[in-house]
Amino acid sequence: MNRTEIKKPSRQVIVLNKVRAFFSKPQNTILLLFGIVLTLTTFVPVIAIVNDTFAIHPGTIDAHLTKKVTGYSVVNYVDLFTSRLAKSNLWTPLTNTVLLATFSCIVSILYGGIFAFLVTRTNLKFKKYLSSIFIFPYIMPQWTLAVVWQNVFNSNVVTGTSNGLLAAMMEIYMPKWWCQGLFPSALVLGLHYAPFAYILIGGIFRNMDANLEEAATILNTPKWKTMLRITIPMVKPAILSTILLVFGSSMGSYPVPHYLGLTTLSTKYISMNSKYTGEASILAIIMMVFGVAILMMNQVSLRSRKSYTTVTGKSGQISKIDLGKTGKSVIAFIFIILTFFTSIFPIISFAFETILPNPGDYSFLYTGNTGNLTSKWWLTRDNIAEKGMYGQQGILYNPTIWNAFKGTLYVAVCCALLAGTIGTLIGYSVSKNRRSKWANYVNSVAFLPYLMPSIAVGAAFFIMFSNERINLFNTYALLIIAGTVKYIPFASRSSLNSMLQLSNEIEEAAIIHGIPWYKRMLRIIIPIQKSSIISGYLLPFMTCLRELSLFMLLCTQGFIVATTLDYFDEMGLYAFSSAINLILIIMILISNSLVNKITGASLDKGIGGN
Amino acid sequence: MPDIKLTNVTKRWGKFYAVDNLNLDIENNSFVTLLGPSGCGKTTTLRMIAGLETPTSGRITIGDKVVFDSEQGINVPPNKRKVGFLFQNYALWPNMTVYENIAFGLSNIKEELPIYDFSFKNTVKLIEILKNDQEVVKLIRECIDKNNKIDHNRVLIKLIDVYSISESTAKALFGYKIHEVKDSRTAAKQIIDELTKKADEIRAGYSKKGQELNEECAVTEQGKVITTVRNLSKEEIDLSVRRVAKIVKIGMFMDRYPAELSGGQQQRVAIARTLAPEPTVLFMDEPLSNLDAKLRLEMRYELQRLHVETGSTFVYVTHDQMEAMTLATKICLINNGILQQYAAPLEVYNKPNNLFVADFVGNPSINFIEAKGKQQEDGTICISMLDGIKAVFVPSAAVNLQKWFEERDASEDEEILIKQKALQDKRYVEKGNKDEAFKYKITKVDNYELDMEEEKVITDEDFVIGVRPECISITEDGAIEGIIYGAMPTGMETTVKIRVGDFLLTGVIFGNVLYRIGAAVRINISSNNITLYDRKSGKYIVSGSIQIN
Repeated sequence: MNRTEIKKPSRQVIVLNKVRAFFSKPQNTILLLFGIVLTLTTFVPVIAIVNDTFAIHPGTIDAHLTKKVTGYSVVNYVDLFTSRLAKSNLWTPLTNTVLLATFSCIVSILYGGIFAFLVTRTNLKFKKYLSSIFIFPYIMPQWTLAVVWQNVFNSNVVTGTSNGLLAAMMEIYMPKWWCQGLFPSALVLGLHYAPFAYILIGGIFRNMDANLEEAATILNTPKWKTMLRITIPMVKPAILSTILLVFGSSMGSYPVPHYLGLTTLSTKYISMNSKYTGEASILAIIMMVFGVAILMMNQVSLRSRKSYTTVTGKSGQISKIDLGKTGKSVIAFIFIILTFFTSIFPIISFAFETILPNPGDYSFLYTGNTGNLTSKWWLTRDNIAEKGMYGQQGILYNPTIWNAFKGTLYVAVCCALLAGTIGTLIGYSVSKNRRSKWANYVNSVAFLPYLMPSIAVGAAFFIMFSNERINLFNTYALLIIAGTVKYIPFASRSSLNSMLQLSNEIEEAAIIHGIPWYKRMLRIIIPIQKSSIISGYLLPFMTCLRELSLFMLLCTQGFIVATTLDYFDEMGLYAFSSAINLILIIMILISNSLVNKITGASLDKGIGGN
Repeated sequence: MPDIKLTNVTKRWGKFYAVDNLNLDIENNSFVTLLGPSGCGKTTTLRMIAGLETPTSGRITIGDKVVFDSEQGINVPPNKRKVGFLFQNYALWPNMTVYENIAFGLSNIKEELPIYDFSFKNTVKLIEILKNDQEVVKLIRECIDKNNKIDHNRVLIKLIDVYSISESTAKALFGYKIHEVKDSRTAAKQIIDELTKKADEIRAGYSKKGQELNEECAVTEQGKVITTVRNLSKEEIDLSVRRVAKIVKIGMFMDRYPAELSGGQQQRVAIARTLAPEPTVLFMDEPLSNLDAKLRLEMRYELQRLHVETGSTFVYVTHDQMEAMTLATKICLINNGILQQYAAPLEVYNKPNNLFVADFVGNPSINFIEAKGKQQEDGTICISMLDGIKAVFVPSAAVNLQKWFEERDASEDEEILIKQKALQDKRYVEKGNKDEAFKYKITKVDNYELDMEEEKVITDEDFVIGVRPECISITEDGAIEGIIYGAMPTGMETTVKIRVGDFLLTGVIFGNVLYRIGAAVRINISSNNITLYDRKSGKYIVSGSIQIN
């Protein structure tokens, strides 16, 4: 061998060789590319929003206070934190937000956790039906339950609106704290996120080694003590990750506090945005700080989680707790009623609202006269003759609604395709380079938007892409970018999880055979992991269909369905918004069950990821 | 030709050295086993050669191509190294059938190849087969089931196996239905005539273009074979799949998915998949460890046969010393990332480099006996062992202990010097998994006494003698007295534990003998293959025999 010739290669050759070796692995290319792209899409909007808090906006409070039209100042901070309005603009919303997020966590963990325990560890009846109906509230738009709450409990006497079902039918007037404010908001959000808790906690219960509890039983430990000292500590990681997810999500929720009349940072942001632009941006930053704090807690919890992974081995059969002959039916019955109200009643309620002649006119229910029902909201084609509709055509013929639907579908499909593909690729690459710091960084950056309150992410994108230089406001492009960035975590988590389960040797065997990368993905990896990869596409799609908080700042009313809803609400056409809700829910449910039937993929696989 | 050469290859994760400065030459056509206890770095070594793992530093060449060089930054991806790899867990693609698993890799090959005319080749082949129509009919008739119906799949597999033809050709052959007519001869004749006509037409077509077909049915022009860069044709892939399927006997499982096969069958599919592209180098990572004992033995013979038949270089990882001994032409024994010995199996067995190797290889394990002694002028070494038994060790080759010790000390000093030099380099990472001297085990009746003795200062007069179990014989005129402590007869031989003083020696006595536990016996250490080790470094000094006074 001619060693002397190759002994001293030039530096250039060495660098070139190293670069070539680096890019010969597709996962490196993917990580490098998305690392840069995601850093830009995640951090640049944040920088833009920080910049916005110092900038002076003509025609707003900061311009008024500084008497300048351009330039920078700290007046926004000074004014927000110290002025007379500080209490109503900052401290009250902040307290409300934290309280709302905390109580939502408690509600979702209690409700979802107890349900998870009952389904996985006891001999409850009707498990199959219950567990599928239980996740409905998460699939449906957040505001569904809020609107239903209004439809049921509002009354003219207490809230000054049209009478709700209870008031109209039984003349029961619920007190104000029940109808509006913190209590209903926290309850509604808690119920909305309870499926999270159910899926995460249930996952651990399902895989938990029953021997651990049996060992305690043999040592003659009372049942309650076993529960307290062994079972609950075991699910602590799942509880923790539920808290992280629910806390961040409920903080950034706009529609629920909006409908239920609670002032939080997100509703305040919207109301302050036009006159107090700079100060509103500070609110967004406060929300982001919470998001980052949650991400850090998440990292810490992930590290400590490792000590628990040993218990999730799939050994042994789980010993089921006997609830007693009556117990198992009675408890099941209670849950059937509860889930009826959270999952099925909203659909019925919305459907019913669309055939009422006037909002709150429930006369059909006590007269039984079908003349008290109407189909005008659906079928009117003539937009002049029918007076109560403000010149709108019936739902079935209304171009605004159908255009909004098309828009929503378009955005959802694009977001799902982009987020699903990018997320899958990131998950794949991270699983290949698990030891590399860069891979972990990319993974975290991809995950960060998920923990950021959506309204803050929306605000950041609004400031970034809707100014004099770049104006993407009210374009599909902007919505798709924002949606993609926000939903990549769904796909990257589920794909990372499934890729980690796939033995490396499967792909290495293909590498050895000289099979090119794209073919390995298409013919081997994706077919094997198809169900979790599909749920990586499915989750962004469904979430996108019903997203309001993220998109509301980025487009006008009527651009997508969620913002159209608001438009009709403001006009007082409640039948229209109910119909839109109805169509949305049914569309989501149909697409969910369709995908489930065809591919076997289901939502819970994606959310359960960590 | 693909000699594989590893130069100073190191792989570490943080402080953990999986492979520490390994130098290895694997010759063409050899069957090398990488052997060692679990976690010693053997799989890592294999994966580094294949390119699935990137070494921290060093250089690997396959043939005359540098596939890895940390200094030059070269790292050829595994798919360009043209090797075969058989994984421990087979790594069959669960979403593909057996046939697809084997064919998938082949469909990606794109090389410069001659152009073959398969319609011509198959026609010629069919003519050949049909000349012996009786045999065809007989083969088909063999596949008639109890309902008097012909099992199509069985017929096809049989025809494919017997005549080495592709599936489509087998179908054509079956489609002539010569087994249905009474006079198969005339029917076959008729078909042969038709086929001959067809073959002539094809040939004529080529000669019009100024081309010809040679014996292998490759297209030639003016006596030269025409080649192009192309993918393998369907026919070629099918033939390759059938060829390897025949070698490992999985012809009947072609349509099954991996999950529908037993472990042994999966194993064979994995082998077939690896063999199909005809790699000149084949890596195997404990391929037999998931099989039951009987199947493992069977597969060992298969592998041995494959090695001879394919003429490829095999590199084989195992922790089973038995497998390594029986299969390899050369064993590479690794411990804690460091090469211990690289030699032919019998040499490893008879002349282990150090105490670790001696202990690791051989079942039942070698007996270690501590001894104290000095070399006499005639070269023999007077020793006392086993609590006062005096003996003379007669080296079978001349050795000067004084010189040997000096050399040993010199090489130790040199090693320390190298280490100090390395420590000065800032990038050097200290080895977290430290190399420790191998602690050999002296079996005694009461084991706890061992701890007390360790504090003794070890001098150059301390030796360890290694006695293989088969070197101990029980004879009436044996020089050492002992008591049978335990006996395990297997029929072919008996493994006995003999108590000598406080010490226990293991011996293997061949033949059908029964020993009573507690019986007094006399034993001899009678062999020329007794090994002598330096106790201080654990290194092998010399072999020889022992004469007990």
